[in-house]
Amino acid sequence: MVSAIFIIAAGLGAGFLIGLLREEQKGAAFAVALAALGFMAWVSVSWFIALASGTAQAHDIITAGTQPPFAINLRMGLAEAGLLSVITLTGLASLIYMAPALHALGRRAFAVLVILVMALSGLVLTRDIFNLFVFFELIVIATGGLVLLSDDKRAVAAGFKYLVVSQIVGILLLIGIIFTYHAGGSLNIDDIAAQPMAFTGAGLALFLLLIALIVELKPFPANGWALDIYESAHPGFSALFSAASATAALYAADKLFAAAGPDWLPLATVLGLVSFLGANLLGLAQRNDRRLLGYSSIGQIGLVLVVVGQRDILGDAYLYVAGGILFTHAVAKAGLYWISGLVPGRDLADWAVLRANPVLLFAFAAFIAMLLGLPPFAGFYAKWDLAHALTGADRLPVLGLVLLGALIEAGYLFRWFGFALKRPNPVAFPGFSTTGFAVVLVALAGGWGLGFAWGAGSVHGNLLLAAPLIFALAFLLLEPLPAWAKNILAIAGLLGWVALRAPEYDPLHLVFALVMLAGGAVILLASFTAKGERLGFYPSAMVMYAGLALLIDAQTSFQFFAAWELLTIGSYFLILRGRESEPHALSYILFSLGGAFAILAGFALASGGLQPFALENLAAIAEAGLPVAPWVFVLLALGFLTKTASVGFHIWLPGAHAEAETDVSPMVSGILLKAGLFGLWILLMHMGAQRLWGVDLTYLLVWIGALSAFLGAVLAIFQEDAKRLLAYSSISQMGYALFGLALMNHLGWLLALMFVINHYVYKSMLFLAVGGVYHRTGTKLMYKMGGLITLMPFTFVSVLVGIIAMSGVPPLSGFGGRWVFYNAIMSSEMRLPVVLIFMSGPIAFLYLFRLIHTIFLGQPKDEHRKLREAPFWLLVPQMIFVAFLIGFAVLPGMVLRKVDAYIGGHFGDEALAWSGRTITSQFGYWNPVAIMLVIGAIFVIVLALLLMMNRNAQKVKQFNIVFSAERPFKPQTTHFAWNFFAPYRKALGFLEAPHVTRFWGGITDSLHATADFTRRIYTGNGQTYAAQVLVFVVAVYLVVLGGVS
Amino acid sequence: MHLVAMAAGFALILLGLYGALTHRNILRMIVGFTLANTGVHVVLVSVGYMPGRAAPILDGAVPVGEAAARIIDPVPQALVLTAIVIGLGITALMLAYAYRLFRARGSLDIADYTELKW
Repeated sequence: MVSAIFIIAAGLGAGFLIGLLREEQKGAAFAVALAALGFMAWVSVSWFIALASGTAQAHDIITAGTQPPFAINLRMGLAEAGLLSVITLTGLASLIYMAPALHALGRRAFAVLVILVMALSGLVLTRDIFNLFVFFELIVIATGGLVLLSDDKRAVAAGFKYLVVSQIVGILLLIGIIFTYHAGGSLNIDDIAAQPMAFTGAGLALFLLLIALIVELKPFPANGWALDIYESAHPGFSALFSAASATAALYAADKLFAAAGPDWLPLATVLGLVSFLGANLLGLAQRNDRRLLGYSSIGQIGLVLVVVGQRDILGDAYLYVAGGILFTHAVAKAGLYWISGLVPGRDLADWAVLRANPVLLFAFAAFIAMLLGLPPFAGFYAKWDLAHALTGADRLPVLGLVLLGALIEAGYLFRWFGFALKRPNPVAFPGFSTTGFAVVLVALAGGWGLGFAWGAGSVHGNLLLAAPLIFALAFLLLEPLPAWAKNILAIAGLLGWVALRAPEYDPLHLVFALVMLAGGAVILLASFTAKGERLGFYPSAMVMYAGLALLIDAQTSFQFFAAWELLTIGSYFLILRGRESEPHALSYILFSLGGAFAILAGFALASGGLQPFALENLAAIAEAGLPVAPWVFVLLALGFLTKTASVGFHIWLPGAHAEAETDVSPMVSGILLKAGLFGLWILLMHMGAQRLWGVDLTYLLVWIGALSAFLGAVLAIFQEDAKRLLAYSSISQMGYALFGLALMNHLGWLLALMFVINHYVYKSMLFLAVGGVYHRTGTKLMYKMGGLITLMPFTFVSVLVGIIAMSGVPPLSGFGGRWVFYNAIMSSEMRLPVVLIFMSGPIAFLYLFRLIHTIFLGQPKDEHRKLREAPFWLLVPQMIFVAFLIGFAVLPGMVLRKVDAYIGGHFGDEALAWSGRTITSQFGYWNPVAIMLVIGAIFVIVLALLLMMNRNAQKVKQFNIVFSAERPFKPQTTHFAWNFFAPYRKALGFLEAPHVTRFWGGITDSLHATADFTRRIYTGNGQTYAAQVLVFVVAVYLVVLGGVS
Repeated sequence: MHLVAMAAGFALILLGLYGALTHRNILRMIVGFTLANTGVHVVLVSVGYMPGRAAPILDGAVPVGEAAARIIDPVPQALVLTAIVIGLGITALMLAYAYRLFRARGSLDIADYTELKW
């Protein structure tokens, strides 16, 4: 192993060597810098590998042949080696990335960059506080030099502001150092005795040291100077400033916090939280990409500072958690800054140029996922462990605030991604530099590598080794293939996985697996309609399906949560593909992530911080009657209710489902909603009924279910857009299922299961049918259609069968659902919700009637006369569904009987008696075959009668007015379709008032207003910034003292 | 005596910071920071001072054996030298920046450079 001192030596040596070159020898300067940084990176990485694999030991490097504290010593441990690797590799990549700009500035610029990386490395290595100061000042000088690289003239002012603040930090640092020395007689960090936080000289000295290092981390709100640098500097430098400088400064602070003792950790926690929340909140109001990234950097560093504050409870996991967040942030932020250098415009929407290069777009998405700690990246494991440590130590407010901050950050990052994918491209893409592109790719690979490494180090197993996820990610490499080939692979994969896993599932899991995965394969048949490569569709869809597959397989809370987040991410990208879906996809992901965070908190609370936590243990908590049990229930239920779009959390659904692509709508409606039901099922099965403040929570769920069923149906009847109508109807249907589950009895659960199957079938079918109509007519507005029955007969049949099934009239399977439903509510004690849910039935009939009437009956519009039937591949799955509905109506026993027995095993009763083809309950019996025969007979008789009576009827054309009383002015006027239920709207319109939308809109608006107002503290004046830093230091000191006394 | 020096040092720091925060002229701000830095240096030296002891030069007057008891603490003096050098570097860089700012805009008023904000 090469001693770490050579990292410093190589940096210094290269710096001086470049100084000796002649001014025109820029190429040589570049070569020297490249060699030096390459060497430094090689030393760091080889140390990291050796230390991580255990082949080397951490060791101290003694300088000047004298033991510390009489000489400076450097320490190379695992944390140092990791940080040095990040710093030197970022430096190396930035050197390559910035080479043209550095050339323009002259050979000295290369020296300054090398010196910066050397100083950052020194900051990490040194164990001497005065040495810390020296390296810190070197960083200031080098930063001051490199800020001038920018083309942006404003960077000069930004650099000056930075120097002003650095002067203040330097003064604080020096005074802190000298008095710490005075108190302890040593400059060595290891000799600093842990100090209580008190009004003593030594305490004040330590405070000054710590606060100086914290100010260097750009804490909110004393950080305007840093934002100006981020906004105006060369993006290559900003990458370094964010990924390397902040990382090194954070470690310097960490070293001192470790020495100062546990008394000081709350300081890190509180200041970190303030930064994380404040910076992310203010980020909401940003339109400039680099400034936004600056805000995000400050927030993330704040988050790591929070982790530093938890080092007393994290124990051995400290490096894993802090490193996971810090390294992922460094890689992702550097990558984003490097991309920003390839984007010509500075507005967030200007990132739309990335669409010219799908790889960059993918990199953008991956970096965002890394920043937010989504699986399978390293931050995800870190976030999970952090949440568990926090709940284990009862620091729930910290956890809550961290999750809130992360949600706000997700808000602006995903909004930005939506801009990039959906906004019009303002400029022609000028092409990008190949080196820049390559550097971004290196960061991307680094992020995935970190994800793999952290997964390998996780006790929960590596997500990147889970077969479904590997399969899904493989589609990234298969992107050049034509869509049909990928479609075949996807269908084969889904069916293969179900076939492989099915023997091990119990009946309940099997039903969900069949609906979600085999059902997904059926819907994918519709995707054969797509032409070309269909970039991005298959990776997103398959990540969603991978999440669903893993969700069904999940045994522990970690597996469940990871699967949950995967399916959320996949479905977000899938929904975002729709033409008008940008705002809806955003609200979907925000509700989903909010729900996911509730689930995370719920699981963490349930486990009490102990991992791994098997899902069955939820039952143990419920049985033990722990006081946390109802809270676990509330948090988990909240998370699942966001996914089933129950009333209150439903506002994302109509837009997301209606604006999605034709074959995506059935996936996210027919399949994805079931994930929420699956979660609720797991929850209720293990935890049963919980009471909070004397209220039975399942009773609350019954009400939510009934209200969702009722309001969803009411809202559906007033829609003009066919897909929106179906979307609202999903809210209603999920309400039924929730209602059934929450009844907590045998028949209720059977009802919910019937809805899982039926809703998948008829909603997928209807969405495909309506999608086919949209495909041909180009509109989803029902009043613009009419009379399509003869033009699209197959589609008509599937809509007809769909609405018969859905409305629950005999003979189709919906009737079975109704039958179980009536049996279930008759045995229920709850009157009011039962009435409510009962009423939703007829209302459902209203919107279903409207669907078939306005689209297929009446007079066709002029422009639709030459319409053809929907594309073949859209019809195939619909016809499969039609066949299934009829089959399922006749033989419900094939699925239900086993599930019935399974549920009976859970409740220990036998509510239904199965004999032959007849099912008997305490209220009566149901013989599906007989019903089918009776209805069939009636149908045949009526048809025969009609045919007989209509024998003499005369066919007329649409405008033949001989038989009508008046001449139709326009065909539209002969078909009443717009505002179809106007009378009902008069009566029930008040239910349509968007209270919930206003509520959530009010929250986001006030957040934005706060952000926009608060960010005005950054006046742009360097003196104001300096004053803010001083006020910040004094204020923190007063608060600290106030906390002590 | 050393307390007087220390008080003077802190007074200089406050004076310098006050100047740097109240004068809008960039050059005056730099002078303010230089003043504050000088204050820091005085504080540094005064911390190492011990009454009645000799300068930390080991020669005939102060034998090595008695040094620990007879000389003042040499470490702060060593530190202050480094600090002075670094302070000079930073001041030089700030002056270079002032020059560039003036060349770009013809103004040395810090309040004129607020395009970057919010």
